[in-house]
Amino acid sequence: MTVLSLLSLPLVALLLSFCSSTVVASSDYHENLLLHPLPQSALLASFNFRSNTSQESFDQQHFRYLPRALGQILQHAQTKELHLRFTTGRWDAESWGPRPWNGSKEGGTGVELWAWIDAPNDDEAFAKWITLTQSLSGLFCASLNFVDSTRTTRPVVSFEPFGDHSEVDQLHLLHGTLPGEVVCTENLTPFLKLLPCKGKAGISSLLDGHKLFDAAWQSMSVDIQPVCSPEGDCVVQIEQTVDMVLDIDRSKRSRSNPIPRPVPNDELVCDTSKPYHSGDTCYPLGKTNDKAWSLGQVFGRNLDGICPLADTEGSHEESVCLQVPHERGVYISQGAQEIKKDDGFTRCFKLAPSTPFDLSIPQQTVNVEVPLDEPVLHAERTIVGNGQERGGMRIIFSNPSNASAVDFIYFETLPWFLRPYIHTLRATITGRDGVSRELPASKIVKETYYRPAIDRERGTQLELSLSVPAASTVTLTYDFEKAILRYTEYPPDANRGFNVAPAVIRIVDNVHHAPIYIRSTSLLLQLPVPDFSMPYNVIILTSTVIALAFGTIFNILIRRVVSLDQASALGATTLKGRIVSKVVAIQDRFRGKATKVE
Amino acid sequence: MALKSAIRNLRSNPHLLFVRLPKLLSLLCIVVGVAWLLLLPLNEYSRRTYISENALLPGQVHAYFTGSEQNIFRGYKKELQAILNDETKDKSEVTAGVSDKVQSIFEEAGLKFARQNYEYNSAGNTHEGENSYAIIHAPRGDATEAIVLVAPWLTADDKLNLNGVTLALTLARYFKRWSLWSKDIIFLITPDSKTGTQAWIDAYHDMHPASVQPLPLKSGALQGALVIEYPLEHRFQTLHIVYDGVNGQLPNLDLFNTAVSIAGGQMGIGANLQEMWNHDDSYEHRLQTMVRGMTKQGLGYATGAHSSFMPYHIDAITLQTKGEGWEDEMALGRTIESLCRSLNNLLEHLHQSFFFYLLMQSNRFVSIGTYLPSAMLLAGNFTIMAIALWMRTGYYPESKPVQSKGEKASAEKAKTSNIAERKLALPLSLVVGLHLLGLVPLWVFNNISHQYFTTITYVVLGVDIILPLSLAAILSNGLGLSKPLIPQQYHLIKSFSLLLLGLSLSTLATLNFSLSFIIGLLCTPLSFMARLQGPAPARLATSGLGLILLNLLSPPTVLLGVCWYTNVSVETVLTEAAFGWDVWGMWTQVVVWCVWWPAWLIGGVLLGSSIF
Repeated sequence: MTVLSLLSLPLVALLLSFCSSTVVASSDYHENLLLHPLPQSALLASFNFRSNTSQESFDQQHFRYLPRALGQILQHAQTKELHLRFTTGRWDAESWGPRPWNGSKEGGTGVELWAWIDAPNDDEAFAKWITLTQSLSGLFCASLNFVDSTRTTRPVVSFEPFGDHSEVDQLHLLHGTLPGEVVCTENLTPFLKLLPCKGKAGISSLLDGHKLFDAAWQSMSVDIQPVCSPEGDCVVQIEQTVDMVLDIDRSKRSRSNPIPRPVPNDELVCDTSKPYHSGDTCYPLGKTNDKAWSLGQVFGRNLDGICPLADTEGSHEESVCLQVPHERGVYISQGAQEIKKDDGFTRCFKLAPSTPFDLSIPQQTVNVEVPLDEPVLHAERTIVGNGQERGGMRIIFSNPSNASAVDFIYFETLPWFLRPYIHTLRATITGRDGVSRELPASKIVKETYYRPAIDRERGTQLELSLSVPAASTVTLTYDFEKAILRYTEYPPDANRGFNVAPAVIRIVDNVHHAPIYIRSTSLLLQLPVPDFSMPYNVIILTSTVIALAFGTIFNILIRRVVSLDQASALGATTLKGRIVSKVVAIQDRFRGKATKVE
Repeated sequence: MALKSAIRNLRSNPHLLFVRLPKLLSLLCIVVGVAWLLLLPLNEYSRRTYISENALLPGQVHAYFTGSEQNIFRGYKKELQAILNDETKDKSEVTAGVSDKVQSIFEEAGLKFARQNYEYNSAGNTHEGENSYAIIHAPRGDATEAIVLVAPWLTADDKLNLNGVTLALTLARYFKRWSLWSKDIIFLITPDSKTGTQAWIDAYHDMHPASVQPLPLKSGALQGALVIEYPLEHRFQTLHIVYDGVNGQLPNLDLFNTAVSIAGGQMGIGANLQEMWNHDDSYEHRLQTMVRGMTKQGLGYATGAHSSFMPYHIDAITLQTKGEGWEDEMALGRTIESLCRSLNNLLEHLHQSFFFYLLMQSNRFVSIGTYLPSAMLLAGNFTIMAIALWMRTGYYPESKPVQSKGEKASAEKAKTSNIAERKLALPLSLVVGLHLLGLVPLWVFNNISHQYFTTITYVVLGVDIILPLSLAAILSNGLGLSKPLIPQQYHLIKSFSLLLLGLSLSTLATLNFSLSFIIGLLCTPLSFMARLQGPAPARLATSGLGLILLNLLSPPTVLLGVCWYTNVSVETVLTEAAFGWDVWGMWTQVVVWCVWWPAWLIGGVLLGSSIF
């Protein structure tokens, strides 16, 4: 055996080298960082890590860039395509414009997971889905194991696979969300461990939990999908992204002094043109985009060269890109190379291997601004009404375009304890003139996919195909009823209410064919909550006291202490027995309290 | 044994059981009820306040709002002053200019800004205005929860709240820098303290009337609200905390306690309540504080911009600066910063501690379990009387109790005459009819223009004199339409009326204790109203005197009397009441016109019937 394995080792090595030489084109790793300063001194940092593994080596469990932990989970759960999102905060579309990656790399607040699972029927697909969520829960330190049947939906039109799948597979799409999950460093660490350079080198060395989770908005994503070339060569692609919007002012604060204390008087930036401006009166100037910052200040670390595993040849050599006008000066570390692009706003940097890289932008007034596109659609969802019994949902879609209507799919999953009345679905349309008209919902809603909830088994699934005309705002409203939960169904810890998962909007863009995704904020549903603390304490305490006291006293009151022969007489049912028992009773009475305690 | 014989005695003497005993019991209830209330300020019956919600941690954080923030405060204030004092512009231009300035300040600080126009019509007056508000998005939040900071341009006393608004603007810029907020913070600038917050909060929950615009910008569930009032142009001495809401609803006691603890403990600013500036913690002062609180609660009007939040179960208080001392706007700012930090800590909606309480000192209170019996006893006195009368009409013959000719005869007589048929139709329809009649003044007082209010009050006063007498005349003589009423029917009328009164007041006591107590106290004579019997001159004299005294306790007379005593015009009070009905959803009038007034009318009818 030993001899055999020893003999076979060179063979394996040879085979491996042979394999790698043929698959090298499809097994590669790229990483890229895009920095985009946004208005109001915000900075969007978009990290992207992508690697490919050939389908054969994936099937043979030969993992190079694809993490083994994840690969085995996928194989075990028969998952062909996986999308996992961790998101916190809100994307402020009003100030920051359209979302990075057109929203396709972000999820709703909390954790969102959807996957295409290969299974012969729905039940088996669900069983595999549970396996998948349980395993991912362990891998990412997230409460994904709480994605049970009530939080799982099977969207019909809202998601389409990104990858190329073979016709043979019977794919089932399952989608689950955890809107209340708090994304934090314990999710970042396993996320970084999946990367080939594990956050030690390359752009991932910038990712520091302190800064990432101080961001105004951040989203982490993992996408795994099979990608096939027209010739039929398939690779399994894993793409991980981290997008975050940092507040430059806040990020620049040192970790030793993070408190935003009032600045000393002489450091105030005042409008000196005001007539009242003096040593003790100051009208502050607004935030400007020309603030100075550097990578080291904003991320709290330096970029440690490039990841040696990254594919440095070809077109993906520039791993850091920055979007500022070309006239703005940028200082970079020695050894790095700056490449300006033709669009006038983008410049990329070619980093020197194993040399720390820093990038710094001095304060400079620039007349040109990087143009921000207008988002295609604004959506806002809120709960209206008050009281413990009923409420209403209000969803506002506004189309900023003056020319064209927007067609999109609106997908929402509601927990079972929120019972919508779909017949109350109403639409109001408001034009630019501010006049609102009510119209039948069917004028706006073209198609409806509705799967009602079953108490304690599954939630409501609602998919609407909508169209919002140009330059108008459509408000959809419907009423709902709040269910009363059983007392064990309330979470045991302090709670502010129940989270309702964000709605997902998929805009079908006929021009680019790539869908745009928008997610609303999550909602807080306040259910009628009994005041567990006080009455429960009182009830439990008094019941205990009464049970103890009553039991003892009742026992003393009714128990008659008799000798053994008397007891048999008392139990007798014959005439003689009854007479004897009466005698015993009379004896008891005369003897008084010695034997019978009253 | 003694008790047994007393009960036996009672059973054998129906007069004692049905006539004397209920009166005694009623009187006892009234006396004990009032005495109970008077006992509450004593140390043995009241408790020291404490923070029940541990998450609040009041005063545990350092407040950093000092230093150069004051320069910015002065800058903003100068900027607003320049617009407000611009003589060349008319009022609407000034309002628009101020609103634009507020918008530019908020937007420069990086907040989302929106406006809302509203208009209310009440008693012939039009109230219109424009709310401006801005939202700090919690840096890592998801728009599920929010805290509101309100700075009205006019305080509850209609004074210009320039410092308050400027402080809100400065705080907005300061708060924006912090990343620790778990909830959104909404800064709401309203034109006044009466209408602005109401319009805004109604629209926030989509419950607004058509004359109020919907809100273009929203956040999540509101967890608490603070109103800043600093109308002074000098440094202040103490903070006055106003907490009464519409219809006597109160904010969670934890919020009040947090404010007191932060103002007094952390900042060293004294906290007062109910305009008691020199509270020496004596019995008199405690009682006075409590009675002032009860008056406000009983009247149920909005005492400040915070009151409108209460119906939506959002706890809110107003912080008013009072007196002349050495605390400046930065101290108020730090107090608010610390309060916001405490509210920011909340994991749940404020639900612990108390929502029903009477405060008698900033750190002493009585909870509902202790004070409720007093109003319940007052309400109970009517119910006791009503039940006794009902039993009496069924069992007890109306003739004078027969002097015993021998026990057997009396027992036999009792057996035969103990059962009496009740004639219910007329008493029931009269009581129901008079209660429905209460809707007429309710409608009139809430729908006519304010200049007629004084006249209408006198008209109602006149109606109060004539209506009981004419009803009594009709009922006593029948006017040929029906037979004159028999004594049993008078008892039934009284029984139904008192039953309704007792029922309404005891229910009301759990919702608005003070209102129930006040109405109960004013109605106490009604328990003892009855058709008098006896020789004509004495009867006429007594009933006439009784009617005069009863008229002194009628709703319009009480209103006029209170107005005369407090030196407020009747028109002002009624305009405010109509405004409360139209805008705040105030229910006090319903209680007055549909509970108190009908009961009072029936008392008058009973007494008046003695004349005929």
